[in-house]
Amino acid sequence: MTDTAAVAANPALVADATVEVTAVSKWFGQKVAVSDVTCSFGPGLTGLLGPNGAGKTTLLRMLCGLTVPSEGTLTIDGQLPRRHVEVYRRLGFVPEEAAVYGTLTGRQFVAYAATLTGLPDPEAATERAIAIIELEDAADRVIGGYSKGMRQRIKVAAALVHEPEILVLDEPLNGTDPVQRAHLIALFRRLGDEGHTVIVSSHVLQEVERMTDRVIAMVDGKLAAAGHIGAIRRAMSDIPYRVLIETDDARRLGAALVGTEAVFGVTVEGPALRVETTDLTMLGRTIARQARDLDLRFTRFRPEDESLESVFRYLVRRR
Amino acid sequence: MTAMLAITRMTVRQVLGLRRLIGLTLLAIAPAGIFFLSTSRSDPSRIAEGLAGATVGAFINLVVPVITLIMASSVLGSERRDQTLSFLVLRPLSRLSIAGAKLVAAFVTAFALTGIGALALGILALIRLDDAGYVVPMLVGTAIATLAYAAIFMPLGYITERATLIGLAYVFVWENGIAGALTGLAGLSPWRLGFSALVDLAPASFGPAIADMRSFALGDLQPGAGGSTVKVLVLAMLSVAVTGWILRRRDLA
Repeated sequence: MTDTAAVAANPALVADATVEVTAVSKWFGQKVAVSDVTCSFGPGLTGLLGPNGAGKTTLLRMLCGLTVPSEGTLTIDGQLPRRHVEVYRRLGFVPEEAAVYGTLTGRQFVAYAATLTGLPDPEAATERAIAIIELEDAADRVIGGYSKGMRQRIKVAAALVHEPEILVLDEPLNGTDPVQRAHLIALFRRLGDEGHTVIVSSHVLQEVERMTDRVIAMVDGKLAAAGHIGAIRRAMSDIPYRVLIETDDARRLGAALVGTEAVFGVTVEGPALRVETTDLTMLGRTIARQARDLDLRFTRFRPEDESLESVFRYLVRRR
Repeated sequence: MTAMLAITRMTVRQVLGLRRLIGLTLLAIAPAGIFFLSTSRSDPSRIAEGLAGATVGAFINLVVPVITLIMASSVLGSERRDQTLSFLVLRPLSRLSIAGAKLVAAFVTAFALTGIGALALGILALIRLDDAGYVVPMLVGTAIATLAYAAIFMPLGYITERATLIGLAYVFVWENGIAGALTGLAGLSPWRLGFSALVDLAPASFGPAIADMRSFALGDLQPGAGGSTVKVLVLAMLSVAVTGWILRRRDLA
């Protein structure tokens, strides 16, 4: 168990950790996928956030024992999964890739998972898991004919069939429609509230925000930020946004914007104006007022630097 | 045990597609067809030689390894291709038991086909020679060779995506080239282990029939079903141990 002082000093660590990642690195040849990551997960839901290629999947696969770390250790309840396969009675994993048998029906697939886990009553466990993800109507159809969202749900059922204490989900909402997404988010939250350790990776900030307050953010294989999502948001508050504005008189608008509260940089490029701001809302209000006062017409207003990836890169640069 | 049976059943289902089944069954009985057509008007000694020729010239040294290569390299290879291996290994099962179940599946699926070929040759020998004594030796020899090849090709199918190519090169270059030319290496050749058991169990009339091909088919190996069985079982255990070790050590797809 992580000691109290270390937990207090590091928001990436939790006091009641069930999953511990200690100084873990992984490289594939010359490519570093994960670099010196230390964090821990305990009961409740934690979002593992980061752009594509950030190292989330590699970290989760190492955590489950699918990938061997180049350095460091990853333990589940103090045990290394590769050495203690009994760990898998307490762990459920939903991988990002397909990982389903296309020729089986949904029910057969979940029952196979139940049998391999050695459950005393695999049939009952299968029915319960299918009911949880509300896929009863399609359970007897072959998975090969499922939509991507249905495949994701049946994988969740297979991961839940043995009621694991720890559930690891790699981009589980990919391919799901809004209704399925809402249902899965509610399910993950409920499991977290019930005291399961639930780790959900995503590259979509809004998705994670809907699920949990605790976030671990990764960029370029490194831990970029960790802790309460509000604190991370505050850390992001001074990110300079760049906004492209096209108007019928860029010079006049640029001159009017210089010196206003929301703006700290203006560049005129032909009919376009690039504005740097830390407050998009206030910039919008300012521009609306200026447009009215100066009688200008706008053809475009587009934030250029709003992607999650740029936010994460910014966080990494700050480290 | 229930989990291992479940893995074996699932694997058999995965690798035995209908088209593959039909194609490989035709391949398995092709040597029997050659034997049947080439010995229609021969005397008994020529028929026995024809049986030996079909067995050593096509069946046990080519058809058996090729069918086993296709089946055995698929049992883990298909899981890797379909990205389902993670589903399998994230269960409270030792890697050794997964490897064991996979080897059983590789043997069952391959022998389901090579066994048909062996049975066809044995039954034709019964018809042509009026001797039922070839059926069991054919099946035993084929089973030994099939298990030996399964033990080699199962881990190969997991390690590399080019298992078929490498396996074919192995069959033609090593099994039918080097190990045939250097008689001292016959004991390291799976089909020769199977053939040694076949010769040991077959009727006495089979001995003279293989005289011309003895050096290529057996080398320094003495006919013996017991010795071949022990060697193949040791090879199978080694295969399970190595595959289990690889599954534990390597990154899993």
